[in-house]
Amino acid sequence: MIAVGAGKGGVGKTFVATNLSVALSRLGHRVVAVDTDLEGANLHTCLGVANPQLSLADFVSGREEDLRKLLLDTDESNLQIIAATHAHLGDMQPSQSRRLRLIRELRRLPTDYVVIDLGAGSHSAVLDYFLMADHSLLVMVPQPTSVENAYTFLRAAFYRKLQTEASSHEMRNLVSTSMDPRNELGIRTPLELIREIEGLGPVEQKLIREIVQGFRPRIMINEVRSAENVKLGFAVVSVCRKFFGIEADYLGYVNHEDEARMAVTSRKSLIGYHERSDAAGYVQRIAAKLIRLSDDSRGSVRGRREKAQRGQTTGGSVWTSG
Amino acid sequence: MKILDEMSPYEVLEVSPIASSEEIERAYRHLLDAYESDSVALYSLFGEKDASVIRERIERAYRVLVDPDLREKYDSRSGMDSAPAEPIASGSQAASKYPEEEMMAFEEELIHEGSECNGSLLRRARISAGFELEEISEVTKVSVGTLRHIEADNYADLPATVYVRGFVTGYAQTIGLNPELVVPGYVELVEKARADQGRSRFLGRR
Repeated sequence: MIAVGAGKGGVGKTFVATNLSVALSRLGHRVVAVDTDLEGANLHTCLGVANPQLSLADFVSGREEDLRKLLLDTDESNLQIIAATHAHLGDMQPSQSRRLRLIRELRRLPTDYVVIDLGAGSHSAVLDYFLMADHSLLVMVPQPTSVENAYTFLRAAFYRKLQTEASSHEMRNLVSTSMDPRNELGIRTPLELIREIEGLGPVEQKLIREIVQGFRPRIMINEVRSAENVKLGFAVVSVCRKFFGIEADYLGYVNHEDEARMAVTSRKSLIGYHERSDAAGYVQRIAAKLIRLSDDSRGSVRGRREKAQRGQTTGGSVWTSG
Repeated sequence: MKILDEMSPYEVLEVSPIASSEEIERAYRHLLDAYESDSVALYSLFGEKDASVIRERIERAYRVLVDPDLREKYDSRSGMDSAPAEPIASGSQAASKYPEEEMMAFEEELIHEGSECNGSLLRRARISAGFELEEISEVTKVSVGTLRHIEADNYADLPATVYVRGFVTGYAQTIGLNPELVVPGYVELVEKARADQGRSRFLGRR
């Protein structure tokens, strides 16, 4: 399961989700692309599916319990989508229990890869989808605003993970307090929070290490125009490591491509529109890398998934597979 | 910068305690880029004052690790030589891993997919490796304008083939691409374009 998030709109989440899905499917894998952006559904358009009559909104509202019935075919033979159109305008995000059910059902889909296009912002639903994915992609563009929001998103996701996996009231309280950037304890960064939690005792010390290890966002830089822009990925990884205490991976980058816009205008993926374009090549390479990473970790992911399911039955959390 | 003061020089440079001097050099160069004053990655987190403190700490860590004597002294003082690697395993994934991997991907692409080795491929490889044209010009002494022509496949504006061969070789070496894989292909493109042009000119005159 691959989640594509950004924390900010307009940086190319849907572009990345669309083209990753197409690239994976053209490499011979079955793929389901899921739009969870109920407030700004676009994925179906980028994949040439006009005006879908069925969507995730039907599942969220309880009208349909079987996700498989929401699958729509695309022009790509191995690729199906679940759109996010015609959501209830007043009540966009699914309740917590509905969200859990959605995640379970997504895992049960008869497919090799599920690619999730997340909405913008740091709503808890967005964070939950991001955290439960096997690969949590964070897309940014080389602009201060985008990087700023990406950091905010990373912090929010990390704090959410800490909160749902906290083992004691003390730890949960510490996390809640630190969520306010002006908290009285003076905890300003995730790293400082990690240190505080370690100080609570040996149980917490062990747990926080596991949580930190299980949180491995994969950074992607979109709309790259210069070597300087490519280096941004390293800088972000270094900042995460040094000042947040978080290990991020630099998954790759995609260069700026005028044709990307034209592909959207003609309601096609860039790969479908011009497979030999530079940017399409970069996305295809990232897809190949993700396949490699998935193959490498397949054994351990299965282990974690089983652990997560065990945790669920005993009232624990399912977010262990971050 | 309490956080940085608590780190070992290895952690500051994000290298493993058994890193070679080359790895240290590379990590240092990457970090200087990452923490330069107008870095987009920093602006929302640190003011200019903090950023300069960070750079100063990186500089300091580098000076210890680049000097074999100082490094050995540090290692023995901190007990590094008896118990290496484990405590800062998280830092062992050197920041410099990515470009090499990318370069290998380009070379693979050239070998397996038989793609044309044109200027646009060279340009992509250069950007991946994190080089600006000016830097290549400085090393190879080839003007930035000529390098631009090479990348834009403006063969008409390039000098005689023998020079082009030398320029592209220098270009490839600078960015860490194997010249043997790219130079023959590029020269072939140049020669073919020139032959085609010559033929059409010849026909045109008749």
